[in-house]
Amino acid sequence: MSHIAPGWLPELEARRTAGLKMGGAEAIARQAEMGKKTARERLDYLLDEHSFTELGRMTGKGEYDESGHLTDFQPANAIMGTGRINAARVCISADDYTIRAGSSEATNADKWIYAERMALAYRMPLVRLVDSAGGSVKLLQKMQATKIPEYTNWPSAELLDTVPVVGVAMGACAGLGALKVLSSHFSVMVRDTSQVFAAGPPVVKQAYGIDIHKNELGGYKVHRKNGLVQNEAVDEEDALSQVQRFLSYLPRNIHRLPPVTATEDSPDRVEDWLKEAIPENSRKIYNPRKILQAILDLGSLFEIGRFYGGSVITCLARLNGYPVGVIANDPKVGGGAMNNAAALKMERFSKLCDQFHFPVINFVDQPGNATGPMAELNGTLLGAVRLGEALARCRSPWVSIIIRRCFGLAGALHGPKESGALNHRFAWPTARWGSIPIEGGVMAAHKQEINAADDPAARRLEIEEFYHNLASPFRTAERFGILDVIDPRETRSLLCDWIEDAWEVIETDMQRQPK
Amino acid sequence: MPEVDVECECTGTVWKIVSEVGQVVVEEDDLLILESMKMEVPVCAPCDGVVKMIKVAEGAAVSEGDIVVVMEEE
Repeated sequence: MSHIAPGWLPELEARRTAGLKMGGAEAIARQAEMGKKTARERLDYLLDEHSFTELGRMTGKGEYDESGHLTDFQPANAIMGTGRINAARVCISADDYTIRAGSSEATNADKWIYAERMALAYRMPLVRLVDSAGGSVKLLQKMQATKIPEYTNWPSAELLDTVPVVGVAMGACAGLGALKVLSSHFSVMVRDTSQVFAAGPPVVKQAYGIDIHKNELGGYKVHRKNGLVQNEAVDEEDALSQVQRFLSYLPRNIHRLPPVTATEDSPDRVEDWLKEAIPENSRKIYNPRKILQAILDLGSLFEIGRFYGGSVITCLARLNGYPVGVIANDPKVGGGAMNNAAALKMERFSKLCDQFHFPVINFVDQPGNATGPMAELNGTLLGAVRLGEALARCRSPWVSIIIRRCFGLAGALHGPKESGALNHRFAWPTARWGSIPIEGGVMAAHKQEINAADDPAARRLEIEEFYHNLASPFRTAERFGILDVIDPRETRSLLCDWIEDAWEVIETDMQRQPK
Repeated sequence: MPEVDVECECTGTVWKIVSEVGQVVVEEDDLLILESMKMEVPVCAPCDGVVKMIKVAEGAAVSEGDIVVVMEEE
């Protein structure tokens, strides 16, 4: 054994050190002034301590003296490798904004695409921390020619079919950067310091002659309305914590089951106030999130898409430790009616649950599809049709608890019913359903009779009262139109029994039909 | 302080106005209550701030996307 260091060691160490310097002290300071962490600080925060194994760390641009010795080195602005989040293995890439604004065309594209290919080849979750200004015109000078913009070896669709993919907007994400955030199962953006758009303000100015701030163009308030990015974070640490939380529910890939964890929450926990959770006055709303907290394992709810399509709530959660997908309606938003955004949200969520093996619980309170001139102009029914297709294809064990209204299209669109799906469902005593709500329905069916009466308004109320008496869920239960009408306080224990059976389906389906 | 337009999320009529111009509100506070889908559906403050203008009267018909209140964000 020699005690003399081998001749290659100084160069190895020099190159490793140079690879860590990012865009240099000045650029790093500017990043901090913008209230942003550097790519490496983000990796440190997100990954388990000492778990990052960097790959391609010597990729970059070396400068050499006349005799061929390295004099300077600028690393590539794409950092990637593998690591662990909550002990589970992940593949990760992070754009380094301090070098050429993280531009996708000022980097070595093979490098970031390798992270994607590796996630697919080794079937591990992929996380993209995106902070990229997109294309750069300077590429022309470097290449002395133009190229058709494309990345033919990027397996973006196959990844989505195989492993959990997470896109995080950590800064301006333009063009390809935007796609890297959005082509995912879960996306989150940082309020105020991140934007997602096809192109940023300078390009928009040239195309349309308008001056617009980047946050007005592609900030979180824009995407609240279109549902493009699912979650928003108050700061970078919140965004990264949400990534950790999301992945804690997911399996490594579609061939594995999501993890079951231990819980201290008893299946028999009963919250007494649930008996009056739904107001008797049908005009009054309630807080559905509070109901979910009372029924699912304490502290286990992770909501996806809080701010768009608000009439539908979608969450990952746990029930007696088992992972589940949870859907509910929020009467506070548009009366709980299904509009395009809500349909898109529920469609995506049911696909996620199907793909990664989550049993689903749906707490139904829906007056049906959104109606009116705006709803028709927006083509709201197309959202409903698409959702219907997604539900028909969803193989997750599914139980619906109808807690209040289930009218019109809501009857068809609260769970899978085709191909032998059981359509397992229970109702709370406050449930009411029908093909058409009684108030509107009476006016449509008894118009002549009402108009001919001495007191049309009184006659209308009389007929409505008659139908309301017929609409009790107990009458439906007499005909086995619903499995059971339950006391809301029994819901948790009933679901904790159900989840055991549902998990058996998940486990045995996995053994029987490997995807 | 930037102005924020508060839109209603659904079609209906203005049932009750429960805030007034100059009132300091926090995010999620009810500003007015619509009657929509036969329910009392609140229009809430999207952020902390001050109510600057209420653009509708009780009984008015409103459509999804209509600006009903203007706030000054804090």
